[in-house]
Amino acid sequence: MKLLLAGAGAVVLGAAALTVPIPPRGQPAPESPESAAERAESTLPALGVLWGKVRGWERVGGGWTVFWQPAHGMWVVRAWVPDDGGEIRWRIEAAPWLPGARLSERAARALTGFDAGTAQERERLARRDWLLDGSRLLGALPAGGELPVRQFRHRPIVEAVLMGLLLAGAAARHLVPGSPSLLWRHVVVWSSALLVPLLPWLSALAPPSFQPGVRPWVGELAFGTAVTILLGALLFAAHRFPAVAGTPPAAWLPAALAIGVVAGRLEPGEWLLSVAGLTFGMPALAALAVLAGWLAGLAADGLRELLRFMGGARGFVLACLGIGAVVVAGPWLSVAFAVVAAAASDRGRGTWLTTSVMWGWVVGSLWSLAEWEPPLQDALVLLLLAFGVATVTALVSGVGRTPEASVADR
Amino acid sequence: MVRLGYVIGVAVAGAAAVAGVALVRGRGVSGGARAVSDARAAMVRLGYEPIGEPTASFEGDQELAWALERAKPGPDGVSLARGEGGALRWRVVFPGGGETQVTIDGLVWSLRRPVPTAPGPDLFPSLARARVEAAVAQAVTDPAAWHLVRAQSWREGGHTWERAWFVGGSGPLPSGWRRELELEMVGSTVVSWRRLVHPFGIDLGVVTGRMAELRMLRRPAMLGLAILVVGVLVAGAEAVAYRETVAPLRGIAYGIVVVLAGGFAGDALTAAPLEGVVLAAVIAVMPAWTALPRSRLRFGPAAGVALAGLTLAGRAFILGAGGWVPVTSPVPADMGASRLLAESWVPALVEEPLLRGALPALAAPVVGWWGAALLAAPVGALLHPLPAVPLLSSIALELVLQAGLAIVARYAGVGGAVLARGTCEALVRRASFPVGSEFDRIALLGVAVGVVLLLWPRRRE
Repeated sequence: MKLLLAGAGAVVLGAAALTVPIPPRGQPAPESPESAAERAESTLPALGVLWGKVRGWERVGGGWTVFWQPAHGMWVVRAWVPDDGGEIRWRIEAAPWLPGARLSERAARALTGFDAGTAQERERLARRDWLLDGSRLLGALPAGGELPVRQFRHRPIVEAVLMGLLLAGAAARHLVPGSPSLLWRHVVVWSSALLVPLLPWLSALAPPSFQPGVRPWVGELAFGTAVTILLGALLFAAHRFPAVAGTPPAAWLPAALAIGVVAGRLEPGEWLLSVAGLTFGMPALAALAVLAGWLAGLAADGLRELLRFMGGARGFVLACLGIGAVVVAGPWLSVAFAVVAAAASDRGRGTWLTTSVMWGWVVGSLWSLAEWEPPLQDALVLLLLAFGVATVTALVSGVGRTPEASVADR
Repeated sequence: MVRLGYVIGVAVAGAAAVAGVALVRGRGVSGGARAVSDARAAMVRLGYEPIGEPTASFEGDQELAWALERAKPGPDGVSLARGEGGALRWRVVFPGGGETQVTIDGLVWSLRRPVPTAPGPDLFPSLARARVEAAVAQAVTDPAAWHLVRAQSWREGGHTWERAWFVGGSGPLPSGWRRELELEMVGSTVVSWRRLVHPFGIDLGVVTGRMAELRMLRRPAMLGLAILVVGVLVAGAEAVAYRETVAPLRGIAYGIVVVLAGGFAGDALTAAPLEGVVLAAVIAVMPAWTALPRSRLRFGPAAGVALAGLTLAGRAFILGAGGWVPVTSPVPADMGASRLLAESWVPALVEEPLLRGALPALAAPVVGWWGAALLAAPVGALLHPLPAVPLLSSIALELVLQAGLAIVARYAGVGGAVLARGTCEALVRRASFPVGSEFDRIALLGVAVGVVLLLWPRRRE
């Protein structure tokens, strides 16, 4: 009965987190990147070059920037497709050695139809490029104009502090060893393993990998190698700096999840929309949430050990840090809050809490920004999965569990 | 037993010395002395006797040379890069005035002599074009292939100057390439000319595309090294906390050597100090990594000679199997002997302690020593490959070199791997620098160290 009541409370909490009115910071996306690509292909003219396959996309302002590149890699076609059905802007980048024409300024003006404005010429090996009042010519090929650029909201101090806490956490877990949690080690291993077969799709999230003159398979290989190295480092860290075993805070997990959802709706991760646009978006989102949660748990251990010498003032400092996280962390709100919250709890529970917050953040971000159906379904499935895990942990850990029983999760 | 080991050491030393000399002999950029005499002769043909002993410096257009090799595979392409393609040249500057560029094969690529006080009568306008067209014979060996496309004239300093642009078709260059020439006359005297080669876009594109692809593939390797550095920092903190044996003085000394060598190798302003700090940390922490194999320096250089031979043979194999890999060595930024020394040993000093020391030490508890070595090999293989067709052949060759270094590190420790890598790099890079005993000695420095170490009498244990 107690468990049922707790479950009902958790569901109410989750529903409240999803429905409480919060103005989203980012612009919601009404369509998927694939649909935006289809719209661009059907709306734009042929542009004079073969577009190739859709290689990737990113969310920029109120629209999607989609990238096409043929297999030989000699050029990249980019198009910014606004959500409101406005004019689609496009741009062609070509390898500098590609042959073309050397037009005079007069001919370039006649071709682009721009008589006014300053003309800038650029000599290439076998062609002359022109920039005329925002319109570009690569040789004699009209190559579009400027596209909107994604604005990153950096918080260098917060990023540096989190990085330092990660290092401190690694040192703390090694210098103050506890009994390592086999469960979390397996979770990190399987989450990483889940991402590896998804690498061919994940490369769509790395637009810098697709450059004119570089064949797309090389860009994908570079991206795949980088991700593999990162995952390898994470696996190594999970082995060398394991999370400490402990009883999952079953009662707190739904609350942490709800806080994560609210944080996601307040400060959504726009790039998660790009992940949601992948063919296998949901497993990738789940794996990323778990890995982010584990890393936040590592940072939380660092913060806990750093504050240990403060004794009684520790709670006050943590409360101040929590408020500070809400005020200054910006896009890092959920991570910063997860780290502070987990630092305030026991070592064995920190990773559970941070993972719940990060999982909730993923759900909240999708709920706040995605307006097409599959990501919303994914968000709900992820939320139900989280509640499922919380229920199972509540059932397994149970009230009045003996200390010996907590060894079971090791 | 010790005596037998010593005999083996002597045999290895002899073999390494012979192989090292064989790898160095006859390699290097030739034509320096000939370029000076050719330049002087070309000046004399124009009626100017240059004064003083000139300075000759080597310069090259890396991408142009490789594009020519790619467009005409085999010796033809190499010959074009050294001759009609004008990709590899000596610049000869006379102290009394006058400057020329002469290709390695002796073709005068460009020339500028001082303006004579009496340059002869100004050309009559109606005859100027014919005289300028005739003057092209002084600059090229096949004047019939060249035709005038544009000319201009102006008055300056009391004389009439003529400037003309010629196009010479592709000539011996691959189809689609174009030769151009710009020639200047003062009065009726030719005072300068300059040749240009306009490559076919696709030929150049294959090379520059491969170079861009390798630059992109280098990024994950750099990421791997950055993660490794983070691991070293954490390991250092642990070593200090657990009061393990560390060697800070040795680390600082090594870091200083790395910074100095990086400075000579022309590394970016911040790169050398950064590398110095990182390597100082690695070397300082290294005594705490007790699982690393003990350094046996004496076998390192001999292994380096073997690896250099393997690298050069691998390139020949790729060419023989129908692939393409550059024959012309990468052109260094400058030609000093210190440059060869620094460029050869900086990769060894920086990368080997990280890839054969720190990475195995950190990862061995998880994946074992050989597993860690296999992790290090692809990271190292992506750092310095040359462009090739197919691209993966060059990376595979680097992978073989890295695997070889892993084997060396297993049996000769990190110190042995550093010596092996430095020796190997010096022997392979020797071809980029001018011929001369000074460069040969620098290239053979590692081999000499190895021979001394192998022949040094050992105490009975």
